[in-house]
Amino acid sequence: MENSRKYLDPKILVRLEGLQLRARLIVEGYVSGVHRSPFHGFSIEFAEHREYAPGDDLRYLDWKVFGRTDKYYLKQFEEETNLTCYLLLDTSQSMRYRSDAAAMSKLEYAQCAAAALAYLILHQQDSVGLVTFDKEIRSLVRAGSNPSHMEQLVHVMEESVPERKTATGPIFHELAERLKKRGLVVVLSDLFDDVDSMMAGLKHFRHHRQEVILMHVLDPAELDFPFQQATLFQGLEQLPEVLAEPRALRKAYLEEFGAYVRRLKKGCRMHQIDYVQMRTDQSLEVALSSYLASRR
Amino acid sequence: MPTPIYAFGIAHLPMLGWLAAAAAPILIHLWSRRKYREMSWAAMEYLLVAVKRQTRRIRFEQWLLLAVRTLLVVLLVLAVAEPYWERAGFALTSAGRTHRVLVVDASYSMAYKPADKNRFDRAKQLARQIVEQSRQGDAFTLVLMARPPCVVVGTPSMEPGEVLEEIDNLKRTDTTIDLPATVSMIRQLVQNARRENPRLTQHEVYFLTDLGRVGWVPELTGAAAADFQRRSRELAESAALIVIDLGQPAAENLAITRLRSLEPVATPAQSVDLETTLKNFGGQARSNQPVELLIDGRRVEQKLVELPAGGEVSVDFSYRFETPGNHAVEVRADGDALEVDNHRWLVVPLRQSIRVLCVDGRPSGEPFRGATDYLVCALSPQGDRAEQPTVRVEVAGESVLLERDLGDYQCVFLCEVAQFTSSEARILDAYLRGGGNLVFFLGEGVLAERYNSELVGQPGRPGQGGLHLLPARLGKIAPKGTYFINPLEYRHPIVRAFRGGVEAGLSSTPITRYFKLNLPKDSGAKVALALTNGDPLIVEEPIHAGRVVLVATSADTSWTPMPVGPGFVPLVQELLAWCTGGRYKQRNVEVGQPLRASVSTPATDVPVSLQTPDGGSRELQLHGDGDYATLDYADTAASGIYRARFSPPIDRTLLFAVNVDTAESDLTQLSVDRLRNEVWPGVDFLYQTTWQKLQEQPAGQAIAQPGRLHVDLLYIVLGLLFLETFLAWRFGH
Repeated sequence: MENSRKYLDPKILVRLEGLQLRARLIVEGYVSGVHRSPFHGFSIEFAEHREYAPGDDLRYLDWKVFGRTDKYYLKQFEEETNLTCYLLLDTSQSMRYRSDAAAMSKLEYAQCAAAALAYLILHQQDSVGLVTFDKEIRSLVRAGSNPSHMEQLVHVMEESVPERKTATGPIFHELAERLKKRGLVVVLSDLFDDVDSMMAGLKHFRHHRQEVILMHVLDPAELDFPFQQATLFQGLEQLPEVLAEPRALRKAYLEEFGAYVRRLKKGCRMHQIDYVQMRTDQSLEVALSSYLASRR
Repeated sequence: MPTPIYAFGIAHLPMLGWLAAAAAPILIHLWSRRKYREMSWAAMEYLLVAVKRQTRRIRFEQWLLLAVRTLLVVLLVLAVAEPYWERAGFALTSAGRTHRVLVVDASYSMAYKPADKNRFDRAKQLARQIVEQSRQGDAFTLVLMARPPCVVVGTPSMEPGEVLEEIDNLKRTDTTIDLPATVSMIRQLVQNARRENPRLTQHEVYFLTDLGRVGWVPELTGAAAADFQRRSRELAESAALIVIDLGQPAAENLAITRLRSLEPVATPAQSVDLETTLKNFGGQARSNQPVELLIDGRRVEQKLVELPAGGEVSVDFSYRFETPGNHAVEVRADGDALEVDNHRWLVVPLRQSIRVLCVDGRPSGEPFRGATDYLVCALSPQGDRAEQPTVRVEVAGESVLLERDLGDYQCVFLCEVAQFTSSEARILDAYLRGGGNLVFFLGEGVLAERYNSELVGQPGRPGQGGLHLLPARLGKIAPKGTYFINPLEYRHPIVRAFRGGVEAGLSSTPITRYFKLNLPKDSGAKVALALTNGDPLIVEEPIHAGRVVLVATSADTSWTPMPVGPGFVPLVQELLAWCTGGRYKQRNVEVGQPLRASVSTPATDVPVSLQTPDGGSRELQLHGDGDYATLDYADTAASGIYRARFSPPIDRTLLFAVNVDTAESDLTQLSVDRLRNEVWPGVDFLYQTTWQKLQEQPAGQAIAQPGRLHVDLLYIVLGLLFLETFLAWRFGH
């Protein structure tokens, strides 16, 4: 376990060729010793009843039995996987950014995370699909549960080229209409877009009873703004360039950025969307396990 | 109350070149704006908002930091350049090293002592403080303002310790001041310093003086006055002049302005009448002012006098000396703050009698037929009848000049001597060098050409024998006639006694014949009596150590009836008194005048020990000159009695009285307006009165306070360093 965990460090992962290999290492590093799936199905077969104990989820209380016997019993199900998960991977130009402190670009990190999640889901016999997008949907791989499906997902991810602007709002609306089957939507993006528009799109998913997880992939430099010397910042995604003294600007930038993240988190809370912030200098194990553990 | 003048200067002017370094922060700022890294940036939207929000603040912070950094460099350079400010200096914008000429007034009025210290000590104290408070590298010249002025430190000294030692050793004189000579001397010193030490870029002359009106208003006229003004202006153009007035406006003073003997020659036969004058220069009358007479240091008499404010009184004493030799007479009137002029001294050489030799060029066996008969009677009217004759007269023929030692006679009268040989002329010359006196009477037998060739010369062009023994050349004998005497307003001491005495008949006595006398150009001869036609009758000239009188007519009645008139005896007596008084006068001089005495001795290299009034002793050497040796001593800056003890074989003691010029006793101050308008018109100078200030505060601060600006600047630089660090941290630059 320890040997596999060390490969979860982005600095190590980046040396490995092949996204599938990286995904397998990440997931095996995580799932070893874990026996329960963090993702619960909805359409599963009944197994048996169990008497209620304080703290149990009332959703699973069998009201019919209560009516008959005046006793509280919970329904218990067999964990039969029929979960459908779509991974929405942002391949816009801003995802290409990688600072000196990070071993991977945001896109590479998001790809690793997406591959790991896909591997994990396939590993528990569920279905997983993939959408890559920028201002348009670049590719869409329908959900599948065949282990060989992984190769297709990895191939699509590796083929994606980050060179366009992002427009998340319209994309999310479109996908929400196209992916109507109830399931899980995982967005992996830096989310550098209009927050209101983006939230409207995500709300659309929630409207279709989709569970949404927002994995906010950020470079440490974007969070810390650690630059010292004068820098000509050249905007990605067709934004203008600006020559600035970073030390003088740091505080104002961090305030602006912090306000943006707070708005994002607030929106997620309002729409019951899980928000996960991922730093590209952070171990993927830490990033994934801390979140997945919280879902269990 | 003069307004203090504040001056600003830079000690190390070249260091200001480093002010260019103040551009460094600006250049670094511009350079840093050109030097930047390029980077792609994803979160550009938020960065742009931050830039937009912070632009004005960042620009303000950058300007503030830039200003602080530039100011920091400027102040650091200024601190290293050592700026300073001074009170009392002129606005000297140039910097570099300063040459300070300290001119200390050493006249005796500086001895005025109103408190615990006299003016001279205050001047020395101020001079010390000027030196002590000057910057390192400044140079000093020290001049004593006296008569004559004296350079103590001539070459600018950059060793303050040595200059301070010289200041401590300064001694006041009993002279007045010679302002024109002092100005010329300082001007020369400043010029020399500018030429020989170009690093001394700034020159300041400090006059530490009581600004006495007598010394500071030189009595100059014509070209001399113009020359003084020109030199003063030149000095002011090359150096800043600062006059520091140490005097007091209402200073009381009493002085003995005169002490003289009314007898031309003192002998034991008669009492000597002494006349002294006291003058009150102050505004308060003095009642019962004691006046003491001291003979050879012993008080013999005291009188009380009433002395009105601003007035003077004459006090007479009479004393009979008994023992031959030199006697020191002192009159003393104590009781004021200036002690120097409360004394006056007189040396009275007492002789048993005056020995006079009359050389008769036309001797005769019959009474009053010779050339000297009337003269002998006039010299010693009592003749052999007197028990102790004042004047002992001996008559001899022409050959006596070669036979006798003339040094035994105080005066030699030469009457109608036809001619002089070269050897006789040399004897007479030696006699004059020894302090002897000659009186020539002429007559029919005189050979004018021989006189002219042997005895007459001119300065730098003596007679054939190289000698100059006569004050005038003899011309032709005037045609026989009746010529009357023009007394020339009785100005000359020889005839001054005749003033107002018409009955003496001097002006009414005719002269029938006389030699026309021609005075050489630029000679020191003076006409004591002339004729109404303008021709000189009696001419005198001090020659060597003696005096020579030439009378153009005869001593008998052959050319004039004067010898039988009432005026002849007093005239001859005055001639004798004036001649012998020459020696008398040599013993009583004023401060600054040399002491001179001739003694008859063939010996040379005779040591002389001179005891000065301050108790010091000088070992001198006589200068041998044939049969005579001469004592010459010039350093008579102190008043009092000087005692010259001649070692064997001479083995004598001579006394000299040196008295102050009491003009300096008038302590009236020269006002700054008069100084500016009358003494130094058009001369730029700074005037300071610091006496009151000095009593209130540590002395010298009123004169020059070189502010230590560089220390303050360094503190500011230190503060700016902290400020810059804080601002850079605070602003994130």
